[in-house]
Amino acid sequence: MKQFAVIGLGRFGSSIARALSEKNFEVLAIDKDESLVKDMEDVVSQAVVLDATDEKSLRELGIKEFDTVIVSMGESVEASIMITLTLKELGVKQVIVKAKSALHSKILRKVGADRITIPEREMAEKLAQSLASPKIFDFIEVSDTHGIVEMVVPKKLVNKTLADLKLRDKYKVSVIAIRRKVPFSKPDGSTDFREEVIIGPGGTDETIPGDVLILVGRNEDIDKIRKL
Amino acid sequence: MTEDYQDLIELSEFYILSQRYEEAIKILKRAEKIKKIEPRLYYNLGIAYEAMNEKGDARDSFRLALKLDPDFKSAQEHLDRLIEE
Repeated sequence: MKQFAVIGLGRFGSSIARALSEKNFEVLAIDKDESLVKDMEDVVSQAVVLDATDEKSLRELGIKEFDTVIVSMGESVEASIMITLTLKELGVKQVIVKAKSALHSKILRKVGADRITIPEREMAEKLAQSLASPKIFDFIEVSDTHGIVEMVVPKKLVNKTLADLKLRDKYKVSVIAIRRKVPFSKPDGSTDFREEVIIGPGGTDETIPGDVLILVGRNEDIDKIRKL
Repeated sequence: MTEDYQDLIELSEFYILSQRYEEAIKILKRAEKIKKIEPRLYYNLGIAYEAMNEKGDARDSFRLALKLDPDFKSAQEHLDRLIEE
């Protein structure tokens, strides 16, 4: 089982520690603030009060035995750089660091961070994307030219089988899954729905209004479908 | 002939269950002209809009349902989910 350590238990650090614990991973949570550590005691496997800028304390803790260490000291740029450097020197395989800015990110890369995240910027980009294209829920870049996109089925493509739509022939885009809301009647007589995912739909599968198509293809081809 | 409000509500539920959401919305708009103060009408409207991924209209409809019945648990659950997305 993979072991994670999270250094810095502010909003981001505590959220990631909680999320990993919920996925049943062993998580060591570290912060120098006793009250933040106390809040995590019942959530993670182990929570310790420790100043992570102190190399000796980190070494004694056996931090290099952890597969991945997440450093979330967003407010203290200097501390996050120091800790990243120490963790790499101690031999931690994967160090993921939360950065505050592009410059911070550049320095972290220089000192050996394996992965850098700027959550505020990533969230802002996602929000901007969803505001720009309300019918596109998610976009994953596969390469510079190709992507996977979650898109509400355009009206012109509703109530047709995938064989009739011929998306692969016409647009060179493949439907890899369909997310659908399936209505049902509740015991009190009211209606509700649950979500169903059709993975690898076949030619006989028919689209219905509100379906979310998960498409893979060239960005410009996906864009053509979005404009239908 | 006067249309029966209750029949229209039930017909909208039939359309929702048949995944014919646009027809459900048309029926509910007709029902709205007969009687405006019914939380179930706006709840059904919210469900039909949400199923079609018309999230703005779905949110407005669930808010109206909750205005008429602040204890409408299902409407609150749907609204919370739509706001958090």
